[in-house]
Amino acid sequence: MTPAEIAVVLLVAAGTFFAVVAAVGVIRLPDLYTRTHAASKSDTLGAVLTLGAVAITFGGEITAVKTVFLLLFMFVTNPTAAHAIARAAYDQGIEPWTADDSGGEPE
Amino acid sequence: MAAEDHTRILVPVGESTTLRNTVAYAVRVAQDDATERGVSATVHFVYPAVWRSVEPTRAEKFERAGDLLERVEVWAREDVEPDEADVAVETAIVGAEEYLFSPSDFARVLFDYAREHGLDRVVVDPEYQPGGNAPMLRPLEFELSQTGLDVEEAPVERPARRAALVGRESLSQYLVVFGASYLFYLVLGGFSVDAFELFTGAVSAGIVTVVLAKISLKGPPDLGRLPGQAARMALYVPYLLWEIAKANVAIAYVVLHPRLPIDPSLERFEAAVWGDMPATTLANSITLTPGTLTVDVSEREFYIHALTRSSREDLFDGALERAVRFVFYGRRAARIPSPEERLASRERGEQ
Repeated sequence: MTPAEIAVVLLVAAGTFFAVVAAVGVIRLPDLYTRTHAASKSDTLGAVLTLGAVAITFGGEITAVKTVFLLLFMFVTNPTAAHAIARAAYDQGIEPWTADDSGGEPE
Repeated sequence: MAAEDHTRILVPVGESTTLRNTVAYAVRVAQDDATERGVSATVHFVYPAVWRSVEPTRAEKFERAGDLLERVEVWAREDVEPDEADVAVETAIVGAEEYLFSPSDFARVLFDYAREHGLDRVVVDPEYQPGGNAPMLRPLEFELSQTGLDVEEAPVERPARRAALVGRESLSQYLVVFGASYLFYLVLGGFSVDAFELFTGAVSAGIVTVVLAKISLKGPPDLGRLPGQAARMALYVPYLLWEIAKANVAIAYVVLHPRLPIDPSLERFEAAVWGDMPATTLANSITLTPGTLTVDVSEREFYIHALTRSSREDLFDGALERAVRFVFYGRRAARIPSPEERLASRERGEQ
């Protein structure tokens, strides 16, 4: 394997790992707000790492630049979407889950 | 309400082309109504503050609002017919202690004021734009009528929309949006200097500019500060990326830990950043970094949901906030105390 291939494999593996973490988080965490944490952060990094692998695979300058633009848009849109969801929930009066709700021991 | 024996009208005011006529109309309505019922009338002209309580240019804006209200008061007194019912004029600035952001924020402070003074009627200036270029009048009227107030738009002559597409003051605004979209188009096209690409790019950028320039930038950009901001932004991005990487390792640890060691809480803090872009940048950066999520930015406060205790401490440490201030205002602004220190000094001041 060439160094580029190794980098691609590592990036895709790490990206997949964080995407899985996001999925696990959405299932395990107790309420909407905490789940949004997992969905917004881990998912962003997962996508960023995978797009990094894409940029290396194609190698060509323009593709790399376009991928960087994609990354930028993800950085802007992902937190905005997370904020919209959390704000909507907050406006609806959904109370955040706290450690006291289950005696400090989430299921 | 006490409207039976007295005519009371609320008029929200701000810089607008039809303000003069709206004032005349409101006074007219108040006086007619009062004369008809044989009572006296009061017209309240209220300026909803659109600045943040920690903004540096606050005093100046306060002064401008005061000047406007003074002018309105003079106009209103001119309009009162001496031989009809008595019309008193009151002016006030409301909402200066909070950051009015959405139409419902404006509606709330106006409604509070109306309740406090027993007002049940609102006359709105059709060109009143509390949110700068963001259209806000219609939702504001809706919110106000939801509260049970009697809302009416002053039927004043509105000036024709500016005939020239590009006013001189907004030329730089158009140029910046045009330049940015043209550059973006050329980058996507691979920087080819083909005549076809150059032409279609100019056409596309032109369409984008005409349609979106007023929306994407609120006012003419400060061209002198743009390069500095862009350069500091370039420093900020790697820092943010590093923070994001750390955030994800922390979240992955928490999510995959068998006991799920979370201690979520909702925090609020008053951020020392001003304006849409810096506030948006800070809000998005907070969402992207260690276990914190921006829930709401209305009023002057940020509502942050923090997943773990350490993420909460990081937030109040204010490193991100400082970085955002550095990007938009330069090095001097980075030295404002952190949220924790501000909170502490405010508590000391209250004691």
